[in-house]
Amino acid sequence: MFTEYRPSKGYDEYFSASEQPRRALQPLLSSLGALGLDELNRNHAAAGMLLKRLGATFRLNDSGNRGGERILPFDPLPRLIDHADWQRLERGLIQRLEAIDLFLADVYGEQRILRDGVIPREDVESSQGWRPQMQGFRPPLGKWCQISGLDLIRDGQGTWRVLEDNLRCPSGVAYFLENRRVMKRMFPSLFAGRTVQPIDSYPSQLLQTLRELAPWTESPRVVLLTPGVFNSAYFEHSYLAQQMGIPLVEGRDLACQDGRVWMRSTSGLEPVDVIYRRIDDDFLDPAVFRANSMLGVRGLMEVYAKGRVAIANAPGTGVADDKLIYAYVPEMVRYYLGEDAIIENVPTYLCSKPDDQAYVLAHLGELVVKAVSEAGGYGMLIGPHADQAEIVEFAEKIRANPRNFIAQPTLELSTVPSLSQGELYPCHVDLRPYVLRGKGAWVTPGGLTRVALKRGSLVVNSSQGGGCKDTWIVEDAPQEVGSC
Amino acid sequence: MLSRVADSLYWINRYVERAENISRFVEVSEAMALDCPPGSAEPWQPLIDASGDRELFDRLYPGGGATEVVTFLVQAEANPNSVVNCIALARENARQIRDVITTEMWEQINSLYWTLLESDSFWDQPPQEQLREIRRGCQLFYGVTDATLSRDLSWQFSRLGRLIERADKTTRILDVKYFLLLPSPEEVGGVLDELQWISLLRSAGAYQMFRQSQLGVITPKAVAAFLLLDPAFPRSVRYCMERIHETLKLVGGSSVPGAPDDLECLSGLTLARWSYTGIDELISGGLHEAIDALQSDLNNLHGLIHARYFVLPGLAEPVVVSSPDLACAPA
Repeated sequence: MFTEYRPSKGYDEYFSASEQPRRALQPLLSSLGALGLDELNRNHAAAGMLLKRLGATFRLNDSGNRGGERILPFDPLPRLIDHADWQRLERGLIQRLEAIDLFLADVYGEQRILRDGVIPREDVESSQGWRPQMQGFRPPLGKWCQISGLDLIRDGQGTWRVLEDNLRCPSGVAYFLENRRVMKRMFPSLFAGRTVQPIDSYPSQLLQTLRELAPWTESPRVVLLTPGVFNSAYFEHSYLAQQMGIPLVEGRDLACQDGRVWMRSTSGLEPVDVIYRRIDDDFLDPAVFRANSMLGVRGLMEVYAKGRVAIANAPGTGVADDKLIYAYVPEMVRYYLGEDAIIENVPTYLCSKPDDQAYVLAHLGELVVKAVSEAGGYGMLIGPHADQAEIVEFAEKIRANPRNFIAQPTLELSTVPSLSQGELYPCHVDLRPYVLRGKGAWVTPGGLTRVALKRGSLVVNSSQGGGCKDTWIVEDAPQEVGSC
Repeated sequence: MLSRVADSLYWINRYVERAENISRFVEVSEAMALDCPPGSAEPWQPLIDASGDRELFDRLYPGGGATEVVTFLVQAEANPNSVVNCIALARENARQIRDVITTEMWEQINSLYWTLLESDSFWDQPPQEQLREIRRGCQLFYGVTDATLSRDLSWQFSRLGRLIERADKTTRILDVKYFLLLPSPEEVGGVLDELQWISLLRSAGAYQMFRQSQLGVITPKAVAAFLLLDPAFPRSVRYCMERIHETLKLVGGSSVPGAPDDLECLSGLTLARWSYTGIDELISGGLHEAIDALQSDLNNLHGLIHARYFVLPGLAEPVVVSSPDLACAPA
C-alpha cells in the first residue's frame, strides 16, 4: 500500500528519514495493508456521507434552508502520538496555561509584569483583546481560561512547538469527538491489536468544569450561549449542549433583572448560574462592549461583576492569545512559575521591535509573516511561496503598522500520509489539544489534528482547504493480542 | 423549557405531518389518475384546493395541469408548503434545537432532507415510489420520536403540532373531495362511484381502518362519519381533538381547578362540539359550514398556543421562578 508513498523531506510521522516505518506504526501499517487502498477509498467516501447524515456540517453563507452546508473533510489515516511524548506535552500545556492565567490576573490586577518591564505596557494595551473594563476583576476560582485550545506543530526535526494560543472560544472539539466515532464505525479493523486512549469523557469533564464555577449553588443551571444557527460553528454548539444535556440559548432567550440572569421558558423565567459562551467579548453585553450587538444580553456584565453568574471563558482573555503577546509566553512561564517552558515557542520576530523589523524586512522571502489581528490563515505572507510584488506590498504594510505584524521562520510542518486524489500523499498537519481548567486541569487525550489536504500547502485552516484526522495516543510497544 | 424550543418542536411536527399528508394525497392521486378515463374529471385540481394554496398555484402555473400540480405540491421551491420545503423547514427547526431532540430523531429528519436535496437516484424512481419513500420517512420520524423521546414537555409540544396539523388536513381533504364526488348537494347519501370514495379514504390514510370498522358498503355518510367522528381512528377529527385537549391540560400543568382561560375554553368547546353530535346532525346543519368552523377553531387554537407558550415572555410580566432542582422543572 505504501510502495508508491514518498515521505516529505521534513519530518514524516509514519516513516523515518530512511523510509523505515516508525516502531509505533507497525500494527497500523499491517491493518492498513490488509484493508487495501480501494477499500480505504470506498470507506472514505462513506465516512463523508455519514458525517453529513450526523449533521457534522458548517454553513458557508446565508444560503437559506436548502444546501450551502459542508462537512469538514475527514481523512481516514489516523495520526499517532506516543504515550510518553504525550505525557510531557500534557505537562507542558498545563504549565503554559497556568502562566497565562497568572498573566491575565496580573495585567487586569496589579500589573507587576508590566512594571517590572518584562512585557512592554504598550504591547498589552494596544492589543485588540485588551478589555480595560475587566481591570480589578476577579473571576470565579481566580481562573480566566476554563476552556482553551492550543495549536501545536512538529517542526522539521520532529520537535513539538506551540504555534498559537486560542484562549477565547476555540472551536473544533466536536469534530475531534465525531472523528473518533466515524473512525470506529467505518474503519474498525485499524484499531486491531492495540488500545487507543478513549476520548469520550470530554463532555462530562466540560460540564464538571462549568459546574465548578458556581460555588453558590448545589445544582447550578449551566447554559451554552450561541450566536445562533447561522454561525459556522453552530454544529459544535448544539452538539456540546446535547452531549452535556444543557440548554442551548441565544442572547434573546436570556434577560437580566434583579441582579440575576434569567432564561425565558414556557413556565416563565428561570435563573441561570453559568454561561459557556461561544460569542466574542465584543458581543456579550451591549451596555459594556459593542453597543449595537444583537447577540448578547444587556446587563450581563453587571451581574457578572457582582458574582451572581459565571462566564467561561472570562471576558478579556483575548489579550493573551494575541499573536504578539504569544512571543512573551516563555517569559511569563519564567516570571510567574520560575520554570523553563516545557514546550517551546516557534522563534518569533516582533515587527514592533526595530531590530526585529529590520531583520524581517531583509528576509521576507524566507519568513512567514502574520497579521496579529487576523485569524483563519488570512492576512499571511508565506515568503517562499510569494512573488516579488506580494513581498513589496507586504513590506509596505509592515512599515505602516509594525505592531500588527510578527514573523516566523517557514517551518517544515511534519507530515502524515493522507488520501489525496485517491492516493497516499504526505500532507502537513498541526494539532489542537483542548485544556479544561476548573478546580483541577484536564487535557484531552490527543486533540484535533488538522491537515492541509491541498498538496504542498502549509495552511490547515478549514476555510483554506484543510481537513482533519483522528488522533491516537498509543503505547509505543504494541500489546499482545488478547491482553486487553 | 425555552419558549423558542417549544415553538420549534411544535413546528417540526406540523411540517412533518404536512409533508406526510401531501405526499399521501399525491400518491393516491397518481394511482387514481391511471384509472380515470380520458376526459373525466381528473383528481388533480382538488388537491390544490385542499392544500389551501389555490391563489399561489394560479399565479405560478396559470392553467396548469397534472404535471404542474405535482411539481407545485412536491418540489416547487416557490411554494412554501411543498413537500420538499416542509421537510427543509422541519429539518431547519430541528437543527436549531438539536440539543433537545434525540440524535435518532435528528438523523432521521436530516437524512430525509439530504435525500430529497441531493440524491439523484431518489428522483429517478417512479413518482409513487418517491412519494411512498417520503411518507415512510415521515412515519419513521414519528416512530423514532415515540421510541426515544421522554414524555416531558418536549413530547407534549411535539404532539400538539402533529395533532393540530392532522385534524386540519383530514378535514381539508374531506371537504374538497366530498362535495366534488356528490353531483349536487341534494344527493348527499346518493349513488356513488365506489372507486372515488375508496380513493378519498386512502388519501386520508383511512381505507383499511374504515373497512374494519364498517361491515357494510361504502356510503358517503359513513365515510364522513368515520373521518370526522370515529373515536378510535387516529386521524379522525374527534380523536385529534380529544388528544389536543388532553395535551393542553398536561402542558398547562395546573392540578387545581380554576376558571378556564381562553385556550382551555376553546379546546374544551371544540372537543365537545365534535364529541356530542352525530353525522346526520352535521349534514343537516351543513357539513361544509361545520368543517369551515372547525378550521377556524384550529387556527384560533394555534394563535392562543402561540401567544401563551411561544412568544418570549417580557420582563414586565410577573416573574415565575422555578428552581432547577425541583423534579417538576421542565427539561
